[in-house]
Amino acid sequence: MAESISFSLDGDRVVGVPGDTIAAALLRSGVTTFTRSIKYHRPRGPFCLSGSCGQCLLRVDGVPSLPACRVRIEEGMACERQNGPLGVEADLLRATDFLFPTGLDHHHLLVQSRLLGRVALEVARRLAGLGELPVHEAKVAKGELRTAPLVVIGAGPAGLAAARIAGAKALLLERDQRPGGAALLGIDPAGPDAAWVASALHEFPGVLLTGAEAVGLYPNDSGLPGNGLLAVRLEDKLLAIAVEKVIVATGGAPQPVPFPGVDRPGVHAARGLLKLHAQCGVRVGARLVVVGDGKELVDCARALRRAGYELARVVSATSELPPAEDLPLVVGAPLRALGDPVRALEIAAKASTERIACDAVALAWSPAPLHELASSNGAAAAYLPELNGSPLIVDAEGRTTVPWIFAAGRVCGLGGAGAVPSGEAAAAAACK
Amino acid sequence: MIPMEKAIVCACEDVTVHDVDEAIARGLGDIESLKRYTGLGTGPCQGKSCLASALRLCAERAKAPRESLVPFRSRPPQSPTALAAYASLPELQPLPAVAPSAPRGPHPLMPRERLPERADVVILGGGIMGLALAWNLAAQGSQKILVLERGYLCEGASGRNGGGVRAQWGTPTLIELAKESIDFMGRFAQELGINVWLRKGGYLFLAEDEETVRRIEEGAAVQKRHGLSTRIISAEEAGELVPELDTRRFLAAAWHPEDGVVFPWPFLWGYADGARKRGAQIETFTRATGIEVESGRVRAVQTDRGRVACDRVVIAAGAWSPQVARLAGVELPNKPYRHEIVSSEPLKPFLGPLVSMLGSGLYFSQSMRGEIVGGMGDPKEPPGLNQTSSLRFLQRYSRALTELVPRTGNVKLLRQWAGCYDVTPDHSPVLGETPGAAGLLQMSGFVGHGFMMAPAVGRRMAAWMGGAKDDIFERFSVGRFAEGRLEQETFIIG
Repeated sequence: MAESISFSLDGDRVVGVPGDTIAAALLRSGVTTFTRSIKYHRPRGPFCLSGSCGQCLLRVDGVPSLPACRVRIEEGMACERQNGPLGVEADLLRATDFLFPTGLDHHHLLVQSRLLGRVALEVARRLAGLGELPVHEAKVAKGELRTAPLVVIGAGPAGLAAARIAGAKALLLERDQRPGGAALLGIDPAGPDAAWVASALHEFPGVLLTGAEAVGLYPNDSGLPGNGLLAVRLEDKLLAIAVEKVIVATGGAPQPVPFPGVDRPGVHAARGLLKLHAQCGVRVGARLVVVGDGKELVDCARALRRAGYELARVVSATSELPPAEDLPLVVGAPLRALGDPVRALEIAAKASTERIACDAVALAWSPAPLHELASSNGAAAAYLPELNGSPLIVDAEGRTTVPWIFAAGRVCGLGGAGAVPSGEAAAAAACK
Repeated sequence: MIPMEKAIVCACEDVTVHDVDEAIARGLGDIESLKRYTGLGTGPCQGKSCLASALRLCAERAKAPRESLVPFRSRPPQSPTALAAYASLPELQPLPAVAPSAPRGPHPLMPRERLPERADVVILGGGIMGLALAWNLAAQGSQKILVLERGYLCEGASGRNGGGVRAQWGTPTLIELAKESIDFMGRFAQELGINVWLRKGGYLFLAEDEETVRRIEEGAAVQKRHGLSTRIISAEEAGELVPELDTRRFLAAAWHPEDGVVFPWPFLWGYADGARKRGAQIETFTRATGIEVESGRVRAVQTDRGRVACDRVVIAAGAWSPQVARLAGVELPNKPYRHEIVSSEPLKPFLGPLVSMLGSGLYFSQSMRGEIVGGMGDPKEPPGLNQTSSLRFLQRYSRALTELVPRTGNVKLLRQWAGCYDVTPDHSPVLGETPGAAGLLQMSGFVGHGFMMAPAVGRRMAAWMGGAKDDIFERFSVGRFAEGRLEQETFIIG
């Protein structure tokens, strides 16, 4: 196996390590600006590092807007940054950001004059969009129709626990290349870890598909028996699986919170940085400020320290200070992230404003439940501020408001220690 | 000097906290309206990184009640997926329509204030028809006008259409209505203070066989007589207009450069604001539960916020109009049919016109935001009030689009949704008085193209209600079906 892989970014050669995602290889090489934002041309870099946000989209071999955090590098691959017509690093259109400091209200822009309105239309049209149309026709494998009595979606702790109970009848899907989800991040030293994942997999007699992302759950119009029809993207192939029951264990997505500068390169999800390190061994500098709240903040800060980061400060955004004497904790609301990439975080501490220097900022609020697959099919979800999102509503057996859709783990508000028991309960109920 | 820094809520669409505050200040603080007004959650991540923040802002700043804090309706695909992947699936089978479950109790966002005890005109349906009518009626002064919408503005078909507007129709009336409406759209921003982004990129109707070629030739002849510049062009000429087309897949095309696309949502906010400024009252999240007709006259509308006595009731509820008319014991011949649409990832501008394949019913255009927005009629679609999305549609649409425009294969789809066409037996609208129920007025049956006719229909209906003579309210009355004088329109797509 080659020791290094070379590919290009905007024509310049970049060298990465086999197994790197594009994002990992670029961050390793010191590239922090991956794209320019759609309206104000603000610099953007990868935030979630787990395929949920839209901040690391690149054109790869002529295909627009692919997530750099999910595509693995290949020899000779040509990556291009988008939405910087004169170069993404020194994009002149970033002037839009400064010219409209409070934002550009497109609804009411130049409405007074028909002529100016037409000018605005022409300008806006030319600036709109992100990627260019692909150059080539697509080559994809032929899609397939299948049936399955039970599909478990997500092979994190909850999904693995469910699959292990359900046994051979379950088809287990994992969107990452490696099953394990949150168990691989080292967040909870007492919780499931890589060894637990290996043993759970060993005890699961059914089929596991990795790199398999469930992209839609529909009424079943396949003509095959089943309550629903699940669309699954397996690399570049689409499977349509007629399912009797599903257990949704899709986990959560890291969330930014809206403070000035949160969208700048150098602000990352804490879990994203843990994943980047666990998966590719890459760190974004040496010193981090970690900001967030509650158990998630403490757990992520400790895990980041174990991953080799130095913690400049751990900032609790809620007034309650979680008990953790080993951490450099301070209470404070984030005021702004400074620098491009971010080199400091300003916080409103007790009596004063404090500026904390760092190499990057990690955000550690609870990931928001990924309810979308189930809720698009009618399963009810409701916002709970304490869970930082909208978990699916389930009964004690993990049944959602749609009788054949079950849920387990963070997606229904049972992350962390609740994940494994909720997976087992949902599987037992789904197999009744 | 450090410039003021934006606090971004939605990084995909560059939506700031300031934008959210603006929307809330305009009364658009419910999560579905917030999404549409600010654009948050409509980019590549489809809200996976902003919805929690948005709901927190709704709770804290818009003081939204707890039971209303649910995510905006999630739309498949859950992650951007290429057209070619869908196109490679085998064709799926249509399903019988599932009857929607009856709403349980009042909407969590229903305002608590009682409605006025009396109004002159109650308009049922806050879609573009009802709102355009309200704005025009309110200009006449004196009358008390009340518009009732059961959901948020944009919840029905007016908020779910693809934004295509064209004057290329097969009958003189529709050509006139559309021409006047498109003219008005061009000055909507000046009249109503909000941009609707009318972009006249033209409409290109492709004909794939000799019979369809004859159809577009006949259509072009009628349109020319009514002052349109429609031309029949060869496949090669069409290929010059849109170089990405595979010109081997059709024989000729009808081309009308004055047609175009708009951004549909601001029409509703603009008309609603304008009507309110003229004194009309528009109430969202409020349902009509009954229409009282006594001795052949409309007397009142019952709602979940009390009874409103009135002289006239206008039914402008789109595909729900038959249901609403039944509250008054009136049967309309309209039938609802689901129509599905999908939007792609935002691309840099490449496509000028809206392109439609007449035979298959495929159509697509590029929105101002750069997305390819399109749909495709389904001859096997069963009737029914069905707004669920299907995989069958994505497969058929993706196959048709990638065959006609092969370079779209690797374009990813972001979001699909469905709305309902309000279909009449002759594909012409239902307008005017209802036999046996004086004061009960119909304004429905626009078969998926009401949006592009509404500015003119609203103006003419208001004038007619004010006493002006206008024969379309006789010709298109609901009585025509019983009398057997149909008004056949043939230029329907989708």
